[in-house]
Amino acid sequence: MQKLFNLPTLIFVVVLIVGLPFVQRPVVAAEVLTLGIAAVATNLLLGYTGMLSFGQALFFGLGAYCAGILTTRYGLSAFLSIPAAMVFSAAAAWLIGLVCVRRSGLYFIMITFAFNQMVFFIAYSWTTMTGGEDGLPGVRRPMIIDDQWSFYVFTVLVFLASLCVMKLFVNSPTGRILQAIRDNPARAAATGHDVGRYKLIAFVMAGMFTGLAGAIFSFVFGIVPIDKIDWRFSGDIVFMTLLGGSGSFIGPVIGAAFYTWLQETVSQYWDRWPMIMGIVFALVVLFFRTGIAGMAEVIAAKAWGKRSTAKAKQMEAGS
Amino acid sequence: MSTGLQCVSVSKHFGAVKAVNNVSFEVAPGALHTIIGPNGAGKTTLFNCITSELQPTSGEVRFDGHVISGRRPHELPAFGIARSFQRTSIFSNLTVAQNVWVSAFRAFSGTKVEVLRPADAHPEVTATIYQTLEEVGLSRYADAPATALAHGDQRLLDFAIALAPKPKLLLLDEPTAGLSRADTHRVMHLIEGLKGRYTIVLIEHKMDVVMKISDRITVMYFGEVLAEGTPEEIRANAKVREAYLGRRA
Repeated sequence: MQKLFNLPTLIFVVVLIVGLPFVQRPVVAAEVLTLGIAAVATNLLLGYTGMLSFGQALFFGLGAYCAGILTTRYGLSAFLSIPAAMVFSAAAAWLIGLVCVRRSGLYFIMITFAFNQMVFFIAYSWTTMTGGEDGLPGVRRPMIIDDQWSFYVFTVLVFLASLCVMKLFVNSPTGRILQAIRDNPARAAATGHDVGRYKLIAFVMAGMFTGLAGAIFSFVFGIVPIDKIDWRFSGDIVFMTLLGGSGSFIGPVIGAAFYTWLQETVSQYWDRWPMIMGIVFALVVLFFRTGIAGMAEVIAAKAWGKRSTAKAKQMEAGS
Repeated sequence: MSTGLQCVSVSKHFGAVKAVNNVSFEVAPGALHTIIGPNGAGKTTLFNCITSELQPTSGEVRFDGHVISGRRPHELPAFGIARSFQRTSIFSNLTVAQNVWVSAFRAFSGTKVEVLRPADAHPEVTATIYQTLEEVGLSRYADAPATALAHGDQRLLDFAIALAPKPKLLLLDEPTAGLSRADTHRVMHLIEGLKGRYTIVLIEHKMDVVMKISDRITVMYFGEVLAEGTPEEIRANAKVREAYLGRRA
Protein backbone atom coordinates (compact mmCIF):
# COMPACT_ATOMS: atom_id res chain seq x y z
CA MET A 1 0.00 0.00 0.00
CA GLN A 2 1.13 3.49 -0.77
CA LYS A 3 2.04 5.82 2.02
CA LEU A 4 -1.16 7.62 2.90
CA PHE A 5 0.27 10.77 4.44
CA ASN A 6 3.55 12.55 3.86
CA LEU A 7 5.95 13.21 6.72
CA PRO A 8 5.08 16.88 7.42
CA THR A 9 1.40 15.97 7.64
CA LEU A 10 2.09 13.10 10.03
CA ILE A 11 4.26 15.30 12.24
CA PHE A 12 1.62 18.01 12.25
CA VAL A 13 -1.16 15.58 13.20
CA VAL A 14 0.88 14.00 16.01
CA VAL A 15 1.94 17.38 17.42
CA LEU A 16 -1.64 18.61 17.24
CA ILE A 17 -3.16 15.59 18.96
CA VAL A 18 -0.57 15.47 21.71
CA GLY A 19 -0.15 19.21 22.11
CA LEU A 20 -3.75 20.38 22.08
CA PRO A 21 -4.73 19.15 25.56
CA PHE A 22 -1.73 21.01 27.02
CA VAL A 23 -2.89 24.38 25.73
CA GLN A 24 -6.64 23.90 26.01
CA ARG A 25 -9.08 22.00 28.18
CA PRO A 26 -9.62 18.49 26.79
CA VAL A 27 -13.19 19.31 25.69
CA VAL A 28 -11.97 22.30 23.73
CA ALA A 29 -9.23 20.14 22.23
CA ALA A 30 -11.96 17.71 21.23
CA GLU A 31 -13.90 20.61 19.72
CA VAL A 32 -10.88 21.53 17.56
CA LEU A 33 -10.64 18.00 16.18
CA THR A 34 -14.39 17.87 15.59
CA LEU A 35 -14.40 21.12 13.64
CA GLY A 36 -11.25 19.87 11.91
CA ILE A 37 -13.19 16.89 10.52
CA ALA A 38 -15.90 19.25 9.24
CA ALA A 39 -13.35 21.58 7.63
CA VAL A 40 -11.44 18.77 5.90
CA ALA A 41 -14.77 17.34 4.69
CA THR A 42 -15.83 20.74 3.36
CA ASN A 43 -12.52 20.97 1.57
CA LEU A 44 -13.42 17.83 -0.40
CA LEU A 45 -15.89 20.16 -2.09
CA LEU A 46 -14.03 23.46 -2.01
CA GLY A 47 -10.43 22.46 -2.62
CA TYR A 48 -10.77 19.18 -4.47
CA THR A 49 -13.89 19.68 -6.57
CA GLY A 50 -14.07 23.46 -6.74
CA MET A 51 -17.55 23.70 -5.23
CA LEU A 52 -18.13 26.38 -2.60
CA SER A 53 -20.94 25.06 -0.43
CA PHE A 54 -22.57 27.59 1.82
CA GLY A 55 -24.71 24.91 3.37
CA GLN A 56 -22.27 22.84 5.39
CA ALA A 57 -23.86 23.93 8.68
CA LEU A 58 -26.94 22.13 7.45
CA PHE A 59 -25.12 18.81 7.61
CA PHE A 60 -23.19 19.69 10.75
CA GLY A 61 -26.46 20.63 12.46
CA LEU A 62 -28.32 17.67 11.03
CA GLY A 63 -25.67 15.29 12.36
CA ALA A 64 -25.69 17.05 15.73
CA TYR A 65 -29.48 17.05 16.09
CA CYS A 66 -29.79 13.49 14.83
CA ALA A 67 -27.25 12.17 17.36
CA GLY A 68 -28.62 14.46 20.10
CA ILE A 69 -32.25 13.55 19.58
CA LEU A 70 -31.55 9.82 19.32
CA THR A 71 -29.54 10.00 22.54
CA THR A 72 -31.77 12.25 24.64
CA ARG A 73 -35.24 11.31 23.43
CA TYR A 74 -34.76 7.67 22.42
CA GLY A 75 -32.03 6.70 24.84
CA LEU A 76 -29.69 5.38 22.18
CA SER A 77 -26.01 5.01 23.04
CA ALA A 78 -23.57 7.40 21.37
CA PHE A 79 -21.95 4.44 19.67
CA LEU A 80 -25.21 3.85 17.80
CA SER A 81 -26.49 7.39 17.43
CA ILE A 82 -23.24 8.70 15.91
CA PRO A 83 -23.19 6.18 13.02
CA ALA A 84 -26.93 6.74 12.59
CA ALA A 85 -26.34 10.49 12.33
CA MET A 86 -23.64 9.84 9.74
CA VAL A 87 -25.95 7.73 7.60
CA PHE A 88 -28.74 10.26 7.99
CA SER A 89 -26.46 13.14 6.93
CA ALA A 90 -25.23 11.18 3.92
CA ALA A 91 -28.81 10.43 2.86
CA ALA A 92 -29.78 14.09 3.28
CA ALA A 93 -26.69 15.16 1.31
CA TRP A 94 -27.66 12.80 -1.46
CA LEU A 95 -31.21 14.18 -1.70
CA ILE A 96 -30.14 17.81 -1.46
CA GLY A 97 -27.14 17.19 -3.70
CA LEU A 98 -29.37 15.85 -6.48
CA VAL A 99 -30.78 19.36 -6.77
CA CYS A 100 -27.64 21.37 -5.96
CA VAL A 101 -25.03 19.78 -8.24
CA ARG A 102 -27.05 20.69 -11.31
CA ARG A 103 -25.91 24.24 -10.79
CA SER A 104 -22.42 25.62 -10.55
CA GLY A 105 -20.72 28.80 -9.39
CA LEU A 106 -22.88 31.41 -7.74
CA TYR A 107 -26.10 29.44 -8.26
CA PHE A 108 -24.64 26.46 -6.45
CA ILE A 109 -23.66 28.68 -3.51
CA MET A 110 -27.12 30.23 -3.36
CA ILE A 111 -29.00 26.96 -3.53
CA THR A 112 -26.92 25.33 -0.79
CA PHE A 113 -27.52 28.47 1.24
CA ALA A 114 -31.28 28.23 0.61
CA PHE A 115 -31.42 24.62 1.77
CA ASN A 116 -29.43 25.57 4.86
CA GLN A 117 -31.99 28.25 5.75
CA MET A 118 -34.86 25.87 5.13
CA VAL A 119 -33.50 23.23 7.49
CA PHE A 120 -32.58 25.92 10.01
CA PHE A 121 -36.20 27.04 10.22
CA ILE A 122 -37.37 23.48 10.67
CA ALA A 123 -34.96 23.11 13.60
CA TYR A 124 -36.02 26.52 14.90
CA SER A 125 -39.75 25.83 14.83
CA TRP A 126 -39.90 22.17 15.76
CA THR A 127 -39.28 22.98 19.41
CA THR A 128 -40.70 19.74 20.80
CA MET A 129 -37.98 17.81 19.01
CA THR A 130 -35.04 20.20 18.75
CA GLY A 131 -35.55 22.56 21.66
CA GLY A 132 -35.79 25.42 19.16
CA GLU A 133 -33.95 28.58 20.07
CA ASP A 134 -32.70 27.21 23.38
CA GLY A 135 -30.91 24.33 21.75
CA LEU A 136 -31.06 20.69 22.69
CA PRO A 137 -29.42 20.13 26.08
CA GLY A 138 -28.64 17.00 28.04
CA VAL A 139 -26.84 14.97 25.40
CA ARG A 140 -25.09 12.46 27.66
CA ARG A 141 -21.90 10.67 26.76
CA PRO A 142 -21.82 6.94 27.40
CA MET A 143 -20.12 5.93 30.68
CA ILE A 144 -16.99 4.61 29.05
CA ILE A 145 -16.13 7.96 27.46
CA ASP A 146 -17.83 10.17 30.01
CA ASP A 147 -14.81 11.84 31.61
CA GLN A 148 -13.16 14.44 29.45
CA TRP A 149 -9.89 12.58 28.90
CA SER A 150 -11.43 9.38 27.64
CA PHE A 151 -13.77 11.47 25.51
CA TYR A 152 -10.74 13.21 24.05
CA VAL A 153 -9.16 9.88 23.18
CA PHE A 154 -12.42 8.83 21.54
CA THR A 155 -12.47 12.04 19.48
CA VAL A 156 -8.85 11.49 18.46
CA LEU A 157 -9.71 8.02 17.18
CA VAL A 158 -12.68 9.29 15.19
CA PHE A 159 -10.56 12.16 13.87
CA LEU A 160 -7.77 9.85 12.71
CA ALA A 161 -10.18 7.36 11.15
CA SER A 162 -11.98 10.17 9.32
CA LEU A 163 -8.73 11.61 8.01
CA CYS A 164 -7.63 8.20 6.74
CA VAL A 165 -10.92 7.50 4.96
CA MET A 166 -11.05 10.96 3.40
CA LYS A 167 -7.42 10.75 2.32
CA LEU A 168 -8.01 7.35 0.72
CA PHE A 169 -10.96 8.88 -1.07
CA VAL A 170 -8.88 11.80 -2.32
CA ASN A 171 -6.11 9.46 -3.53
CA SER A 172 -8.55 7.14 -5.29
CA PRO A 173 -9.52 7.38 -8.95
CA THR A 174 -12.67 9.18 -7.87
CA GLY A 175 -10.63 11.80 -6.01
CA ARG A 176 -8.42 12.33 -9.04
CA ILE A 177 -11.45 12.74 -11.31
CA LEU A 178 -12.89 15.30 -8.89
CA GLN A 179 -9.70 17.33 -9.21
CA ALA A 180 -9.94 17.08 -12.99
CA ILE A 181 -13.52 18.38 -12.77
CA ARG A 182 -12.34 21.24 -10.57
CA ASP A 183 -9.72 22.24 -13.13
CA ASN A 184 -11.80 21.83 -16.26
CA PRO A 185 -15.34 20.45 -16.10
CA ALA A 186 -15.92 20.63 -19.86
CA ARG A 187 -12.83 18.60 -20.62
CA ALA A 188 -13.60 16.10 -17.87
CA ALA A 189 -17.01 15.56 -19.45
CA ALA A 190 -15.49 15.25 -22.92
CA THR A 191 -13.21 12.50 -21.67
CA GLY A 192 -16.29 10.58 -20.61
CA HIS A 193 -16.79 11.38 -16.96
CA ASP A 194 -20.30 12.17 -15.78
CA VAL A 195 -19.54 15.45 -14.01
CA GLY A 196 -22.88 15.64 -12.18
CA ARG A 197 -22.53 12.16 -10.79
CA TYR A 198 -19.02 12.80 -9.46
CA LYS A 199 -20.03 16.13 -7.95
CA LEU A 200 -22.85 14.33 -6.18
CA ILE A 201 -20.40 11.77 -4.79
CA ALA A 202 -18.22 14.59 -3.46
CA PHE A 203 -21.27 16.29 -1.98
CA VAL A 204 -22.37 13.13 -0.19
CA MET A 205 -18.87 12.46 1.16
CA ALA A 206 -18.58 16.02 2.45
CA GLY A 207 -22.09 15.92 3.91
CA MET A 208 -21.50 12.59 5.60
CA PHE A 209 -18.28 13.61 7.35
CA THR A 210 -19.58 17.06 8.23
CA GLY A 211 -22.56 15.25 9.75
CA LEU A 212 -20.22 12.97 11.66
CA ALA A 213 -18.40 16.03 12.99
CA GLY A 214 -21.73 17.48 14.10
CA ALA A 215 -22.70 14.24 15.81
CA ILE A 216 -19.44 14.20 17.81
CA PHE A 217 -19.92 17.88 18.58
CA SER A 218 -23.24 17.24 20.31
CA PHE A 219 -21.30 15.20 22.91
CA VAL A 220 -18.51 17.75 23.35
CA PHE A 221 -20.53 20.13 25.48
CA GLY A 222 -23.59 17.91 25.80
CA ILE A 223 -25.75 20.38 23.93
CA VAL A 224 -26.76 21.12 20.35
CA PRO A 225 -26.94 24.91 20.09
CA ILE A 226 -29.22 26.24 17.35
CA ASP A 227 -26.43 28.39 15.93
CA LYS A 228 -24.58 25.31 14.72
CA ILE A 229 -27.23 24.85 12.02
CA ASP A 230 -27.39 28.58 11.24
CA TRP A 231 -26.04 29.74 7.86
CA ARG A 232 -23.48 31.90 9.65
CA PHE A 233 -21.82 28.73 10.87
CA SER A 234 -21.64 27.60 7.22
CA GLY A 235 -19.60 30.72 6.68
CA ASP A 236 -17.43 29.84 9.67
CA ILE A 237 -16.67 26.41 8.22
CA VAL A 238 -15.72 27.98 4.89
CA PHE A 239 -13.55 30.44 6.86
CA MET A 240 -11.72 27.58 8.61
CA THR A 241 -11.17 25.79 5.32
CA LEU A 242 -9.83 28.81 3.44
CA LEU A 243 -7.75 30.13 6.34
CA GLY A 244 -6.10 26.76 6.85
CA GLY A 245 -5.56 26.29 3.15
CA SER A 246 -7.88 24.71 0.62
CA GLY A 247 -4.94 23.53 -1.48
CA SER A 248 -3.77 21.18 1.26
CA PHE A 249 -5.47 18.09 2.64
CA ILE A 250 -4.67 18.78 6.27
CA GLY A 251 -4.64 22.59 6.04
CA PRO A 252 -8.29 23.13 7.02
CA VAL A 253 -7.53 21.59 10.44
CA ILE A 254 -5.22 24.54 11.15
CA GLY A 255 -8.11 26.84 10.29
CA ALA A 256 -10.37 24.92 12.68
CA ALA A 257 -7.79 25.28 15.46
CA PHE A 258 -7.44 29.01 14.88
CA TYR A 259 -11.22 29.48 14.80
CA THR A 260 -11.67 27.58 18.05
CA TRP A 261 -8.90 29.57 19.68
CA LEU A 262 -10.61 32.83 18.71
CA GLN A 263 -13.96 31.61 19.90
CA GLU A 264 -12.86 29.98 23.14
CA THR A 265 -9.91 32.07 24.29
CA VAL A 266 -9.95 35.46 22.62
CA SER A 267 -13.69 35.82 23.19
CA GLN A 268 -13.07 35.79 26.96
CA TYR A 269 -11.07 38.99 26.71
CA TRP A 270 -12.78 40.74 23.87
CA ASP A 271 -16.46 40.54 22.90
CA ARG A 272 -15.84 41.69 19.38
CA TRP A 273 -13.62 38.73 18.45
CA PRO A 274 -15.46 38.10 15.18
CA MET A 275 -13.81 41.33 14.01
CA ILE A 276 -10.44 39.58 14.18
CA MET A 277 -11.95 36.79 12.11
CA GLY A 278 -13.10 39.31 9.52
CA ILE A 279 -9.74 41.02 9.32
CA VAL A 280 -7.82 37.75 9.12
CA PHE A 281 -10.19 36.51 6.46
CA ALA A 282 -9.72 39.65 4.38
CA LEU A 283 -5.94 39.35 4.68
CA VAL A 284 -5.98 35.70 3.66
CA VAL A 285 -8.15 36.34 0.63
CA LEU A 286 -6.05 39.34 -0.41
CA PHE A 287 -2.53 38.05 0.19
CA PHE A 288 -2.43 34.36 1.10
CA ARG A 289 -4.86 32.61 -1.20
CA THR A 290 -3.37 29.29 -0.28
CA GLY A 291 -3.97 29.81 3.44
CA ILE A 292 -1.67 28.98 6.32
CA ALA A 293 -0.76 25.55 4.93
CA GLY A 294 0.10 27.08 1.57
CA MET A 295 2.29 29.66 3.26
CA ALA A 296 4.09 26.96 5.22
CA GLU A 297 4.65 25.02 2.01
CA VAL A 298 6.17 28.03 0.27
CA ILE A 299 8.49 28.72 3.19
CA ALA A 300 9.51 25.08 3.44
CA ALA A 301 10.08 24.87 -0.31
CA LYS A 302 12.31 27.94 -0.18
CA ALA A 303 14.39 26.54 2.67
CA TRP A 304 14.54 23.15 0.97
CA GLY A 305 15.24 24.72 -2.42
CA LYS A 306 18.30 26.54 -1.05
CA ARG A 307 19.66 23.31 0.32
CA SER A 308 19.07 21.31 -2.83
CA THR A 309 20.56 23.94 -5.16
CA ALA A 310 23.60 24.07 -2.93
CA LYS A 311 23.82 20.29 -3.16
CA ALA A 312 23.46 20.38 -6.94
CA LYS A 313 26.28 22.91 -7.18
CA GLN A 314 28.47 20.73 -5.01
CA MET A 315 27.78 17.74 -7.24
CA GLU A 316 28.51 19.76 -10.36
CA ALA A 317 31.80 20.92 -8.91
CA GLY A 318 32.62 17.37 -7.92
CA SER A 319 31.96 15.79 -11.33
CA MET B 1 -20.67 -2.75 -39.51
CA SER B 2 -18.08 -0.07 -39.80
CA THR B 3 -19.53 2.96 -41.48
CA GLY B 4 -17.44 5.78 -40.09
CA LEU B 5 -19.07 9.10 -39.33
CA GLN B 6 -22.24 10.27 -41.03
CA CYS B 7 -23.92 13.64 -40.74
CA VAL B 8 -27.42 13.39 -42.12
CA SER B 9 -29.10 16.73 -42.93
CA VAL B 10 -27.80 18.32 -39.75
CA SER B 11 -29.25 21.75 -39.02
CA LYS B 12 -28.73 24.04 -36.07
CA HIS B 13 -30.82 27.17 -35.93
CA PHE B 14 -30.51 29.87 -33.29
CA GLY B 15 -33.83 31.67 -33.67
CA ALA B 16 -33.82 32.98 -37.21
CA VAL B 17 -30.11 32.40 -37.67
CA LYS B 18 -29.39 29.24 -39.57
CA ALA B 19 -25.90 28.61 -38.28
CA VAL B 20 -25.82 25.15 -39.81
CA ASN B 21 -28.37 24.30 -42.47
CA ASN B 22 -28.96 20.85 -43.89
CA VAL B 23 -25.37 19.67 -43.82
CA SER B 24 -24.66 16.11 -44.88
CA PHE B 25 -21.36 14.38 -45.32
CA GLU B 26 -19.76 11.07 -44.65
CA VAL B 27 -16.32 10.19 -43.40
CA ALA B 28 -15.02 6.76 -44.35
CA PRO B 29 -13.23 4.77 -41.64
CA GLY B 30 -9.58 5.70 -41.51
CA ALA B 31 -10.01 8.85 -43.58
CA LEU B 32 -8.93 12.36 -42.68
CA HIS B 33 -11.79 14.67 -43.48
CA THR B 34 -11.38 18.42 -43.14
CA ILE B 35 -14.07 21.02 -42.79
CA ILE B 36 -13.05 24.44 -44.00
CA GLY B 37 -14.89 27.68 -44.56
CA PRO B 38 -14.59 31.39 -43.88
CA ASN B 39 -15.20 32.76 -40.40
CA GLY B 40 -18.84 32.41 -39.41
CA ALA B 41 -19.48 29.63 -41.89
CA GLY B 42 -20.79 27.41 -39.09
CA LYS B 43 -17.82 25.05 -38.77
CA THR B 44 -17.61 25.18 -35.00
CA THR B 45 -21.39 24.95 -34.60
CA LEU B 46 -21.35 21.83 -36.75
CA PHE B 47 -18.44 20.48 -34.72
CA ASN B 48 -20.34 21.09 -31.50
CA CYS B 49 -23.32 19.23 -32.94
CA ILE B 50 -21.08 16.25 -33.65
CA THR B 51 -19.60 16.32 -30.12
CA SER B 52 -23.06 16.71 -28.54
CA GLU B 53 -22.02 20.02 -27.02
CA LEU B 54 -25.05 21.32 -28.93
CA GLN B 55 -28.10 19.40 -30.06
CA PRO B 56 -28.98 19.70 -33.76
CA THR B 57 -32.34 21.37 -34.47
CA SER B 58 -32.94 18.63 -37.00
CA GLY B 59 -31.04 15.81 -38.66
CA GLU B 60 -28.78 13.33 -36.93
CA VAL B 61 -25.18 12.30 -36.51
CA ARG B 62 -24.24 8.63 -36.70
CA PHE B 63 -21.04 6.85 -35.95
CA ASP B 64 -20.33 3.19 -36.44
CA GLY B 65 -24.02 2.51 -36.87
CA HIS B 66 -25.05 4.35 -33.69
CA VAL B 67 -26.93 7.62 -33.51
CA ILE B 68 -24.67 9.87 -31.46
CA SER B 69 -26.62 13.12 -31.62
CA GLY B 70 -29.08 13.77 -28.79
CA ARG B 71 -26.66 12.47 -26.20
CA ARG B 72 -24.62 14.23 -23.56
CA PRO B 73 -20.92 14.97 -24.17
CA HIS B 74 -19.70 12.51 -21.56
CA GLU B 75 -21.44 9.63 -23.32
CA LEU B 76 -19.43 9.91 -26.55
CA PRO B 77 -16.11 8.38 -25.41
CA ALA B 78 -17.95 5.10 -24.90
CA PHE B 79 -18.45 4.99 -28.69
CA GLY B 80 -14.73 5.41 -29.27
CA ILE B 81 -14.91 9.12 -29.94
CA ALA B 82 -12.45 11.67 -28.61
CA ARG B 83 -12.04 15.36 -29.25
CA SER B 84 -9.52 18.10 -28.82
CA PHE B 85 -10.40 21.68 -28.06
CA GLN B 86 -9.75 24.85 -30.03
CA ARG B 87 -8.41 26.63 -27.00
CA THR B 88 -6.03 24.34 -25.18
CA SER B 89 -8.08 22.48 -22.62
CA ILE B 90 -6.10 20.67 -19.98
CA PHE B 91 -6.26 20.09 -16.22
CA SER B 92 -3.94 22.82 -15.05
CA ASN B 93 -3.35 21.74 -11.45
CA LEU B 94 -2.54 18.13 -12.30
CA THR B 95 0.77 16.82 -13.59
CA VAL B 96 1.24 15.93 -17.25
CA ALA B 97 0.85 12.20 -16.54
CA GLN B 98 -2.22 12.79 -14.37
CA ASN B 99 -3.81 14.77 -17.21
CA VAL B 100 -3.53 11.79 -19.50
CA TRP B 101 -4.65 9.51 -16.66
CA VAL B 102 -8.07 11.18 -16.69
CA SER B 103 -8.93 9.84 -20.14
CA ALA B 104 -6.86 6.67 -19.95
CA PHE B 105 -8.56 5.59 -16.75
CA ARG B 106 -11.99 6.21 -18.24
CA ALA B 107 -11.19 3.93 -21.16
CA PHE B 108 -9.86 1.30 -18.78
CA SER B 109 -12.58 1.27 -16.12
CA GLY B 110 -15.70 2.43 -17.93
CA THR B 111 -18.29 4.25 -15.88
CA LYS B 112 -17.54 2.32 -12.70
CA VAL B 113 -16.87 4.59 -9.72
CA GLU B 114 -13.77 3.41 -7.93
CA VAL B 115 -12.81 4.61 -4.46
CA LEU B 116 -11.05 1.68 -2.85
CA ARG B 117 -7.68 1.71 -4.63
CA PRO B 118 -5.21 4.53 -5.20
CA ALA B 119 -5.57 6.25 -8.57
CA ASP B 120 -2.20 5.04 -9.82
CA ALA B 121 -2.64 1.40 -8.83
CA HIS B 122 -3.44 0.17 -12.34
CA PRO B 123 -0.30 -0.75 -14.30
CA GLU B 124 -2.30 -1.00 -17.55
CA VAL B 125 -3.38 2.62 -17.20
CA THR B 126 0.15 3.75 -16.38
CA ALA B 127 1.48 1.89 -19.43
CA THR B 128 -1.07 3.60 -21.66
CA ILE B 129 -0.16 7.01 -20.22
CA TYR B 130 3.56 6.62 -20.91
CA GLN B 131 2.97 5.13 -24.34
CA THR B 132 0.77 8.10 -25.27
CA LEU B 133 3.20 10.65 -23.86
CA GLU B 134 5.95 8.96 -25.85
CA GLU B 135 3.91 9.27 -29.03
CA VAL B 136 3.34 13.02 -28.65
CA GLY B 137 6.87 13.56 -27.37
CA LEU B 138 6.15 14.66 -23.82
CA SER B 139 7.36 11.68 -21.80
CA ARG B 140 10.24 13.57 -20.21
CA TYR B 141 7.74 16.04 -18.69
CA ALA B 142 5.49 13.32 -17.23
CA ASP B 143 5.80 14.49 -13.63
CA ALA B 144 5.87 18.22 -14.33
CA PRO B 145 2.80 20.31 -13.54
CA ALA B 146 0.76 20.83 -16.70
CA THR B 147 1.02 24.61 -16.37
CA ALA B 148 4.83 24.40 -16.52
CA LEU B 149 4.64 23.26 -20.14
CA ALA B 150 5.21 25.70 -22.99
CA HIS B 151 2.17 26.72 -25.00
CA GLY B 152 2.82 24.33 -27.86
CA ASP B 153 3.52 21.46 -25.50
CA GLN B 154 0.22 22.11 -23.75
CA ARG B 155 -1.55 21.64 -27.08
CA LEU B 156 0.27 18.35 -27.52
CA LEU B 157 -0.87 17.37 -24.03
CA ASP B 158 -4.42 18.21 -25.09
CA PHE B 159 -3.85 15.74 -27.95
CA ALA B 160 -2.45 13.13 -25.60
CA ILE B 161 -5.62 13.33 -23.49
CA ALA B 162 -7.66 12.66 -26.63
CA LEU B 163 -5.40 9.86 -27.87
CA ALA B 164 -4.90 7.85 -24.68
CA PRO B 165 -8.26 6.01 -24.79
CA LYS B 166 -7.29 4.79 -28.31
CA PRO B 167 -10.43 6.21 -29.93
CA LYS B 168 -11.74 5.21 -33.33
CA LEU B 169 -12.77 8.74 -34.22
CA LEU B 170 -10.79 11.87 -33.45
CA LEU B 171 -12.50 15.23 -33.67
CA LEU B 172 -9.98 18.04 -33.87
CA ASP B 173 -11.17 21.63 -33.65
CA GLU B 174 -8.53 23.94 -35.14
CA PRO B 175 -5.60 22.12 -33.55
CA THR B 176 -3.11 24.73 -34.74
CA ALA B 177 -5.08 27.83 -33.71
CA GLY B 178 -2.89 30.32 -31.89
CA LEU B 179 0.30 28.31 -32.31
CA SER B 180 3.64 29.55 -33.57
CA ARG B 181 4.94 28.28 -36.90
CA ALA B 182 7.26 25.82 -35.27
CA ASP B 183 4.50 24.46 -33.01
CA THR B 184 2.07 24.31 -35.94
CA HIS B 185 4.61 22.18 -37.71
CA ARG B 186 4.92 19.83 -34.73
CA VAL B 187 1.16 19.43 -34.40
CA MET B 188 0.66 18.81 -38.11
CA HIS B 189 3.49 16.32 -38.09
CA LEU B 190 1.73 14.51 -35.26
CA ILE B 191 -1.58 14.49 -37.13
CA GLU B 192 0.11 13.11 -40.24
CA GLY B 193 1.46 10.34 -38.07
CA LEU B 194 -2.05 9.55 -36.82
CA LYS B 195 -3.49 9.44 -40.31
CA GLY B 196 -4.75 6.05 -41.35
CA ARG B 197 -4.87 4.74 -37.79
CA TYR B 198 -7.83 6.85 -36.76
CA THR B 199 -10.82 8.33 -38.49
CA ILE B 200 -10.16 12.04 -38.17
CA VAL B 201 -12.41 15.04 -38.60
CA LEU B 202 -10.44 18.25 -38.65
CA ILE B 203 -11.53 21.85 -38.62
CA GLU B 204 -8.74 24.02 -39.88
CA HIS B 205 -8.03 27.47 -41.19
CA LYS B 206 -4.54 27.11 -42.54
CA MET B 207 -5.03 26.22 -46.20
CA ASP B 208 -1.54 24.98 -47.03
CA VAL B 209 -1.82 22.50 -44.20
CA VAL B 210 -5.31 21.37 -45.15
CA MET B 211 -4.49 20.77 -48.80
CA LYS B 212 -1.49 18.69 -47.88
CA ILE B 213 -2.92 16.25 -45.39
CA SER B 214 -6.67 15.86 -46.07
CA ASP B 215 -8.24 12.93 -47.88
CA ARG B 216 -11.45 14.82 -48.42
CA ILE B 217 -12.59 18.35 -47.75
CA THR B 218 -16.02 19.81 -47.05
CA VAL B 219 -16.29 23.52 -47.68
CA MET B 220 -18.92 25.36 -45.63
CA TYR B 221 -20.30 28.73 -46.50
CA PHE B 222 -23.07 30.54 -44.59
CA GLY B 223 -24.05 27.36 -42.78
CA GLU B 224 -24.33 25.20 -45.88
CA VAL B 225 -22.11 22.82 -47.76
CA LEU B 226 -20.65 24.67 -50.72
CA ALA B 227 -18.57 21.84 -52.06
CA GLU B 228 -17.06 18.52 -51.14
CA GLY B 229 -14.24 16.60 -52.71
CA THR B 230 -10.57 15.73 -52.72
CA PRO B 231 -8.08 18.56 -52.19
CA GLU B 232 -7.49 18.71 -55.97
CA GLU B 233 -11.20 18.97 -56.71
CA ILE B 234 -11.62 21.67 -54.09
CA ARG B 235 -8.66 23.61 -55.44
CA ALA B 236 -10.17 23.49 -58.93
CA ASN B 237 -13.73 24.34 -57.83
CA ALA B 238 -14.76 27.74 -59.16
CA LYS B 239 -17.41 28.33 -56.48
CA VAL B 240 -14.92 27.65 -53.71
CA ARG B 241 -12.33 29.96 -55.26
CA GLU B 242 -14.87 32.70 -55.42
CA ALA B 243 -16.24 32.26 -51.92
CA TYR B 244 -13.15 31.46 -50.01
CA LEU B 245 -9.86 30.90 -51.71
CA GLY B 246 -10.53 33.65 -54.20
CA ARG B 247 -10.10 36.30 -51.61
CA ARG B 248 -6.65 35.11 -50.84
CA ALA B 249 -5.45 34.66 -54.40
